Amino acid sequence: MTDMASDGLTTLSPQRESNFRRELKRAVRSMVAAKWPVLALVVLGAVLIVAIFGPLLAPLDPNRQNIMLRLAEPMAEGPRGATFWLGSDALGRDVLSRLLYGARISLLVGVCAIFVGGAIGTVAGLVAGYFGGRIDDVFMRLGDIQLAFPFILLAIMFLVVLGPGVVNLILVLGIGQWVTYARIVRAQTLSLREKEFVEAARALGDSTTSIIFRTILPNIVAPLTVIASFNVASVILAEAALSFLGLGVPPEVPTWGSMLAESREQLIANKWWLAVFPGLAIVLTVLSFNIIGDWLRDFLDPRLKERG
Amino acid sequence: MRRLGTLAAAGATGLLLCSTALAQQPDENTLVVGLSADITTFEPANISSRDNSNIARHIFGTLYTISGDGDVQPDLAEDLQISDDGLAYVYTLREGLTCHDGEALTAEDAAYSFNRAADPANNFTGNTPGFVFSSIGFDSAEALDEQRVQINIERKNPIAFGLIAEVFIHCKDSYEAMSLDEASANPIGSGPYRLASWDRGSQVVLEKVDDPNSPANMERIVWRIIPEASTRTAELIAGNVDIITNVAPDQIDAINNSGGAEVQAVQGTRRMYVGFNLSDEFAQMPGGDAIQDPAVRRALQYAVDVPSICKQLLNFECERMTGIVNPPNAHPDIEPYPYDPETAERLLDEAGWPRGEDGVRFEIRLQAGQGRYLNDRNVVLAIAQYLEDVGLDVEVDIMEWASVYIPLIRQRAAGPLYFIGSGGALWSPLYDMTDLARVDSGTNYTHWDDPRWFDRWEDIANAETEEETRQIVNEMLEVFYEDGPWLHLYFQPDFYGVSDRVDFEARPDEKVYLFDTGLN
Amino acid sequence: MWTFIVRRLLQSVIVILGVTLISFIALQIGGDPTYLFVSERATDEEIAMVRRALGFDQPLHIQYLTYLGNVAQGDFGNSLSYRQPAMEIVLGALPATIELTIFAMLFAIVLAIPFGVFAALYRGTAVDGSIMTMAMFGQSVPNFWLGIMMILFFGLYLGWLPISGHVPFLMPLLRGDFVTAFTNLPQTIYYLILPGVAVAFYSLSRNARLVRSSMLEVLGQDYVRTARSKGISEYAVITHHALRNAWLPVVTMIGLEFGFLLGGVVVIETVFSYPGIGRLVFNAINQRDIPLVQASVIVLSVIFIVLNLVVDLVYARIDPRVKL
Repeated sequence: MTDMASDGLTTLSPQRESNFRRELKRAVRSMVAAKWPVLALVVLGAVLIVAIFGPLLAPLDPNRQNIMLRLAEPMAEGPRGATFWLGSDALGRDVLSRLLYGARISLLVGVCAIFVGGAIGTVAGLVAGYFGGRIDDVFMRLGDIQLAFPFILLAIMFLVVLGPGVVNLILVLGIGQWVTYARIVRAQTLSLREKEFVEAARALGDSTTSIIFRTILPNIVAPLTVIASFNVASVILAEAALSFLGLGVPPEVPTWGSMLAESREQLIANKWWLAVFPGLAIVLTVLSFNIIGDWLRDFLDPRLKERG
Repeated sequence: MRRLGTLAAAGATGLLLCSTALAQQPDENTLVVGLSADITTFEPANISSRDNSNIARHIFGTLYTISGDGDVQPDLAEDLQISDDGLAYVYTLREGLTCHDGEALTAEDAAYSFNRAADPANNFTGNTPGFVFSSIGFDSAEALDEQRVQINIERKNPIAFGLIAEVFIHCKDSYEAMSLDEASANPIGSGPYRLASWDRGSQVVLEKVDDPNSPANMERIVWRIIPEASTRTAELIAGNVDIITNVAPDQIDAINNSGGAEVQAVQGTRRMYVGFNLSDEFAQMPGGDAIQDPAVRRALQYAVDVPSICKQLLNFECERMTGIVNPPNAHPDIEPYPYDPETAERLLDEAGWPRGEDGVRFEIRLQAGQGRYLNDRNVVLAIAQYLEDVGLDVEVDIMEWASVYIPLIRQRAAGPLYFIGSGGALWSPLYDMTDLARVDSGTNYTHWDDPRWFDRWEDIANAETEEETRQIVNEMLEVFYEDGPWLHLYFQPDFYGVSDRVDFEARPDEKVYLFDTGLN
Repeated sequence: MWTFIVRRLLQSVIVILGVTLISFIALQIGGDPTYLFVSERATDEEIAMVRRALGFDQPLHIQYLTYLGNVAQGDFGNSLSYRQPAMEIVLGALPATIELTIFAMLFAIVLAIPFGVFAALYRGTAVDGSIMTMAMFGQSVPNFWLGIMMILFFGLYLGWLPISGHVPFLMPLLRGDFVTAFTNLPQTIYYLILPGVAVAFYSLSRNARLVRSSMLEVLGQDYVRTARSKGISEYAVITHHALRNAWLPVVTMIGLEFGFLLGGVVVIETVFSYPGIGRLVFNAINQRDIPLVQASVIVLSVIFIVLNLVVDLVYARIDPRVKL
């Protein structure tokens, strides 16, 4: 079944690099033709800008409480003449400012977790696929162990013990992802191992490391990016779920997921702004990653494109 | 596609029809209570949580019982004689008591209940052996005759009779026939209710025992476990549950405006405070050195606006505590510390902790568990903000309650600042003060060692009269107020959501006893 | 095929050993759990006594090996907080979760097929647009939030569906009490709708999209074109040719789906106060109830492994290209 999963992802030949410009043009054209990916890219660009410049844009200190002004509605007057544009939360903190700061942490957690998981998974997959045999067995059994174990349980177990924290969260979410990458990379490596250009590199006397990382890896990057863009979405959702269970980031760190989790007691009291704004931020970001992922897959998979 | 549309329409109609047919609202013989925490055992000697003990109390009687106002009243026993040396308590049981297994309940059963709980071979860790017995120095229990049971304790203790009133009496014949595993799911007592069914994690159903003299009102009481606050509130508003505990403060208005239920707020007895850990180990930590000085601790009392925390975060007007003892027994002349950040800053300056160039006086860590007390996470964050306002740099460390924070607390290793609540009582100031019975008491999480407090316990033991005791207590409370190891907060209010269908009156001691609760 | 099954089962033993070892280590690195089982006024001697009674005074590897030895004899230990056999408690909570998971799986797979097929058949129209928008939304919204919103809307505001709770069906069925089981069944389903949808919504959305794209792929293939040109009715083309191939990727997902749904179950069981294994194991982890966690983890892993094995076998049956 692993081989089936990667079946739709075809790799491109190494000449690709020389055709980089042409490929890029083709990508832009395909993207514009599909319309939605452009919009998604714009959204993600905006999120990225907010993540980088959020602290400059935020009108107030995101952690500054003001319990006398708690649960203020959007546009209500804040402390010292400021305005709570998107309302204030249960401790009187400015929702807008937390949202802007939260962009950075949410994105950081999402992207870093993917990098951690992707890096471990890719290396494991490359090594397992290239060498095969005992090493392959060990990695794949490790993968089976992890998959036989609902990820959320593993995450809960480690976070209960290690305590909340951005780094812990990234590690746990990242480790939760590696098997997916490992399996796909392994399958790709298995087929690439026998390809002519790899044989050629071997014949030229390239070192094993060089073959794995210089010759094979570049050809696997495309399918990896597709999975990664889908994965960011699920990692952001997982962060929200862990926050709900009280295992997310520490309280002074705003993330969209934890903001949404904190809103749960306020929904029945009609404090809609606490859920709507972080919810919207999550939905838009996740949606954009999914759209980009869809487009990337179609773009990189000639078979599907033909049909288009 | 048309076929599918028809199917969908049929499905929706079916659903609507079903919803009227299947909806389950409690009938007139059944009372439904929504609890927030799970029930783990019905082994009388292993029960330790409040919710667990609330349910069990309907199944097991106790010798005496303490009413909501703190009055001691007879229950299974009708008379108590205490020996002159204060070491032997002789209870006389009422006549004609019957166990759920049909046997008569006699002094032998009562003695058995005590001795079984104390037997080290059983490894019990509930409230009875773990708290009551270690507090009173339980020695043994013996049946003097059919009706009289004598409890022997190791040292004289003015509050022993109140603690003994917490011990569940169970029935010897049935328990001797059961293994410990069986006993934890098959309670046999003499209370007005018996356990009808227990679906772990879901609900406990109690059924009224057939008895013409039963004080119980309802035929069945269903205790449902509903951990999520919003879900509990929704069930109450929808009319599927009659009483819910632990209403989230921000959901009170939603219930009161629903038209079918109302929230009863009671001033509870649980003392919420921020402890200063004064152990040598913490004296080496940032901030741990500063709080060694009573002047710094006093200064911080002025920094926190407790009434605002109550009003805003707990939705309750509360008066700030003046010390370790609940209001009716507190020192009559002490006023709570006011909120006065300027005084706090001035005192901190004078104590030798001026603001640095970055505006910070000293760093300190504030540890807390989450999900145990009313709105605890937000209260802790708000306290941290108040302390930061007077120049402290507070590192808030909020942990998972049971598995991480509790072990830390039990090892007396939380701090330098830690947030916790300690259950209190109205019937004696000494009960509340027992938290700090000895410097090395397990409950002295602060490692406080002021002799002006700890040396006075002997004076209390030797006191001849009530007045004399009260005088010593007051002097101790003055020391506690001035130089004590607690940053005073509040007595935790308890919120019960009560459907208009039932007449239920909430008590201040977190006990939910439904014997005389009925329908309106 | 039999060698394949035997090999897989042998591998499973290693997997389960690994899983128990990981959870054992994870729960032990946090420190000594003894303090959770002594009262706050316990003396050092009492604490030491309880520690001995619970076996936490032994070195870790001895504790683990002792545990394995006991498991080999069918003794999974007593839950530390319930003080009853851990396996009994886990098996008691399992039927409720199986009901929820199966129900969610039905939603996630059975509903995904018509949605995906319609979206593919009406590609580019409003039908496709609205189904795919819903699907995209379903993949972006956290399930606990969806759960609370559904409680407020369908449970409280409209009053159509129950807010929380569970009526057992499998439990009485397994006990042989068929009358109770089938009298309960309508209630069981009625109580399962909201939590089931909340658990399944993400998967439903993903599967609908998956079915749609594989359907599109199949519709473009030569044999479908041929079938059409032969004048076979559109209905027959879809059901006989296109659909059969289009749901292959969905079948592949079933095994993984189960693990995925179980993940959602932890959160949703809390929201709907549903007495299943998800909440049980979450509480057990929080209480460091190691025997209970171990028993749950073993049960879940076994289910997962068996399910994946079955899926692979079924897959081999329906897709002739796959050889075991």
